[in-house]
Amino acid sequence: MDFEALDVELNGLRETALKRLGEVGDTRSLADWRVEYMGKKSAISTLSKQMGSLSAEDRPKFGQRMNEVRQALETAFAARQAELERIEQAKRLAAETIDVTLPGRRVPMGAIHPISRVIRDIEEVFLGMGFSIVDGPEVETDHYNFELLNLPKDHPARDMQDTFYLTEELLLRTHTSPMQVRTMERMRGEVPIKVIVPGRVYRRDEDDATHSHAFTQIEGLVVDRGVRMSDLKGTLETFAKALFGPNQQVRLRPSYFPFTEPSTEVDVICVHCQGDGCRVCKGTGWIEILGAGMVHPRVLDMSGYDSQVYSGFAFGMGPERIAMLKYGISDIRLMYQNDLRFLSQFTGV
Amino acid sequence: MKVSYMWLSEYVDLDDLSPQALADRLTKAGLAVDGVESRNQGVEGVVVGEVLSVEKHPDAERLNVCAVDAGTGEILQIVCGAPNVRAGIRVPVALVGAKLPGDVKIKRAKLRGVESNGMLCSAAELGLDTRLLPAHQTTGLYILPEGTPIGTDIVSLLQLDDAVLDVDLTPNRSDCLSIRGFAYEVAAILKRPTTFPTTVDSLESDGPSPLTVRLETDGCSRYDAQVLEGIASKPSPLWMQMRLMAMGIRSIDLVVDITNYVMLEWGQPLHAFDADTIADSTIVVRQAREGEVLVTLDGQSRTLTGDMIVIADPDKAIGLAGVMGGENSEISGTTKRVVIESAQFAGRAIRRTGQRLGLRSEAQQRFEKGIDPSAVRNALARATELLVRLAGAQPIGSMVTAHRGDLPATATTSVRFSPDACRVSLGLDISDADMAGILASLGFVVTMHSDDWTVQVPSRRPDVVLQADLVEEVARLYGYDNIPSTHLVLPITPGMRDGRQRLIEQVKDVLVGIGLYEVRSYAFTSPEALRPMGMNESQPPIPLMHPMSDERGVLRTHLLPSLAEIAKHNLAHRVDGGAIFEVGRTYLADALPLTKQPIEREQFALLWFGETGESLREKSRPYDFYDAKGAIERVLAALGVKATFVRLELTWLHPGRSARIVVGDEEIGVIGEIHPAIANDMGVPGGIYAELDVQPLVKHRTMDVTVEPLPKFPGSRRDIALLVQQEVPVGELLETIEMSAASSGILTGVQVFDVYMGQGIPEGHKSVAIALHFQDSERTLTDEEIEDTVQLVVTSAAVAHGAQLRS
Ligand SMILES: [Zn+2]
Repeated sequence: MDFEALDVELNGLRETALKRLGEVGDTRSLADWRVEYMGKKSAISTLSKQMGSLSAEDRPKFGQRMNEVRQALETAFAARQAELERIEQAKRLAAETIDVTLPGRRVPMGAIHPISRVIRDIEEVFLGMGFSIVDGPEVETDHYNFELLNLPKDHPARDMQDTFYLTEELLLRTHTSPMQVRTMERMRGEVPIKVIVPGRVYRRDEDDATHSHAFTQIEGLVVDRGVRMSDLKGTLETFAKALFGPNQQVRLRPSYFPFTEPSTEVDVICVHCQGDGCRVCKGTGWIEILGAGMVHPRVLDMSGYDSQVYSGFAFGMGPERIAMLKYGISDIRLMYQNDLRFLSQFTGV
Repeated sequence: MKVSYMWLSEYVDLDDLSPQALADRLTKAGLAVDGVESRNQGVEGVVVGEVLSVEKHPDAERLNVCAVDAGTGEILQIVCGAPNVRAGIRVPVALVGAKLPGDVKIKRAKLRGVESNGMLCSAAELGLDTRLLPAHQTTGLYILPEGTPIGTDIVSLLQLDDAVLDVDLTPNRSDCLSIRGFAYEVAAILKRPTTFPTTVDSLESDGPSPLTVRLETDGCSRYDAQVLEGIASKPSPLWMQMRLMAMGIRSIDLVVDITNYVMLEWGQPLHAFDADTIADSTIVVRQAREGEVLVTLDGQSRTLTGDMIVIADPDKAIGLAGVMGGENSEISGTTKRVVIESAQFAGRAIRRTGQRLGLRSEAQQRFEKGIDPSAVRNALARATELLVRLAGAQPIGSMVTAHRGDLPATATTSVRFSPDACRVSLGLDISDADMAGILASLGFVVTMHSDDWTVQVPSRRPDVVLQADLVEEVARLYGYDNIPSTHLVLPITPGMRDGRQRLIEQVKDVLVGIGLYEVRSYAFTSPEALRPMGMNESQPPIPLMHPMSDERGVLRTHLLPSLAEIAKHNLAHRVDGGAIFEVGRTYLADALPLTKQPIEREQFALLWFGETGESLREKSRPYDFYDAKGAIERVLAALGVKATFVRLELTWLHPGRSARIVVGDEEIGVIGEIHPAIANDMGVPGGIYAELDVQPLVKHRTMDVTVEPLPKFPGSRRDIALLVQQEVPVGELLETIEMSAASSGILTGVQVFDVYMGQGIPEGHKSVAIALHFQDSERTLTDEEIEDTVQLVVTSAAVAHGAQLRS
């Protein structure tokens, strides 16, 4: 045989193989094709055996041609294989389609109570300002709940906090303020004192939409040398911005608490109308959220801090009220009824 | 405190200030005004008219046809249904076109065929609060005093053009419980002078008083009295009735009205006695005798205690000092001589008396908060003047005065004031002159010496005794709005939760994350709620002294009843079920009655009630013990606390499905199905309850982790199935296995993956399938040593629990 004749035959085989490859429709036929055109018994293999009949000069030339053809078929095969696999995978995936609108496998939902949520938010703000958190007994003595807070027995201001007594001397605390005194006693004259006190308190109020015989309070106390009323305002302003948004402002209004002097009520811009005036703020644009003041000199003195040297401020707020404002809860009793249809609305807070 | 704008304007110039504008200024200065109400509820075009004649309506038995002169120049025919109509009376006449409260417009009308040109009005129709009128004025036509000029506009006659400020006074401001005191405050806020009438005329006559006063208690520091005679019994003038009404006080009769009027004007409560009921013309102020009985003006018989103060004569008590008079000395239409009392009683005693008897009069509130001693005499003089002028009374003798100790020489208190300290404590840059000006505007007398001022505070302001009190006066009148915002200049402190606080927040997050809802319930409960669990005997609850209801009469000693109550509420509102928890306290007394603060035990309490609820891939099923146990295990894992569950029998839990949760030998909680009988008693269908004490968790939690290196050599697993009697606890079986292989050092994990009873298993037995995991950090284990250990495990299980290896 001569080189030309073999080469013609080889080219013919290549053409046939490539043509057939284009017709192969699935990966199984592809395997058959590979056996038929590239296997040991393929026509190309047979042809290669005839190489020995060529001249020594033509032999390497033909060997090279042979390799080229094999290479070309190999490449075409790989491309065809990839294409077919892609098509088959696409078919398979199409068949695997599911309804993505069906609900996921159920993971039970839970939620933190809205009052706890608000308490935690408030705690985070003050922790960030370097306050620590303390808590204390709910059953208090008359001494700590009233007398050491400048509310001696038979003081008319005791009417502001109608009290549940257990005995003549023991009662359920009407505010978290006794912890002001307990904290100062524990600190034994050390400064600075920067604490907040979240906790449950009790007053003899008939339960209605805005009153509860049991509710929570967060007390705050700062004592050091040179603490000013302007610091109180600045601290509460920082707090209000953190809790209600960067555009918040606070407004102080003179008031009276027996354990602070001067005393103040603190308003923030109405969270409902941003100050334009609405039903929630009775048209004033402001809502009262806490009471505060400079710690009364008698309270400081009774707690072991010389009022000539030290000063401080204290404040108290009601998480229930803040929760009601933040979440639009119109009845405080809802928060103590613990209806799951109510609580489940707080999975997102 | 209700304040009449019109009355106030007599003492301070308010001309350019509307009632609302005044209210805003007051609120800013700390006298919060809750509301401003016009006295006129919509009256327009109503005038005084005289009924000239009254004739029966021809066709209506209850109606009369009246001829009325209302000053309009014609005689009006008006049909009237009021039973008290008669010729000669003067009454409010709503002319045609007039308006009355409630959007009533008066039109010409025909009533059963008779033309009516207007309407004769009752007090209620004019919008007056009839509860504050003398009894005879509350029904029928509102009959005006004789001689009231015909044609007078009723709005000005009844001072309906006045406005009333409802001021929410803080308890320290006793000085504002009178119009005069209020005027001082308003004058200071507005920086205007007060315009009080110069002095009260002294109308006492010469000569000694027929009355003797003896003070036998320190509860009365001063007692002044004036005797008068010849008092005409008649109603008080309309202007006085209207002022009382504006301030919320009911008009009774002239004498009582005058005492109330003077109290509103001066803040000094007065009382009137019938002088002829006082034995020996001697008044004795003394402590009540224990058990002494007095019938008070309201007809109630009161049993007195020794700490109350009574006004008495030598024979008997005739009044409860500062609280209420006695019926035996009450003035009446036949009274010939009266004694007017103006005294100063100790606030504490008055307060206690009122509380004990459940009384809360206007007088009592003023005594409690402290009255101005300098007003005692002035108020009595003013009452005398009004009695003479309005009731035609004659004073008998001069005022009598009795006092304990010396009367103070001056009616002021001296307070030292440092303007520098004031500036510092407010953080406010305010000048000396501004401060002095503010203090002076309050009527305080300021003596300035560099930084050590002396401020004389009048006796009407007993709330001002310290520098801090003066600082507040300066701040509130300068304006709290002017105080700047500054930042604390303090050393930096770490803001961190302590271990307990961190643990609580962490556990809450875990529980919420695995599907529980946090609840918050009341600490008050009832013995009835605690009864099913037997808590009243095992840990008697602490009772409240004066509970508001039986349902909230004691402090809870257990959290389950609170959670059960919530479950009950939810199930009753068609909630299928749920998983809830509370971080709550129980209140445990050492002994009752309570002598010291009880233990407040803080716990996590958890309850699974009802069903899981249906979802696409899961059927609804009742919650069971293992739901709860899984949650507790999750919490314990989060805290790094290793606990065991030990069978437990408690009366209120299912005896076969409950366990104590133990760390070492300390019980830190319990878990179990609520006993069906107890659940039934509590009114819930059942549930799984668990509780964990906070304190031991804080103690046992581990915060430190030391990482073990990852294994370099492959591990092996062998599964075995052991046949044991049904009552063998699997937990104990696993414990035995772990212990038995401990010495080999290669058994790293034991896990139960199936528990099977039924076909192929002998009666009363169960098959427990267990996976054993083997691993060594140094080398690959041989089959032989693994088999040896499996053998050891099986043998130990056989010995300890009678277990047989199933092939
Ligand atoms: Zn608003």
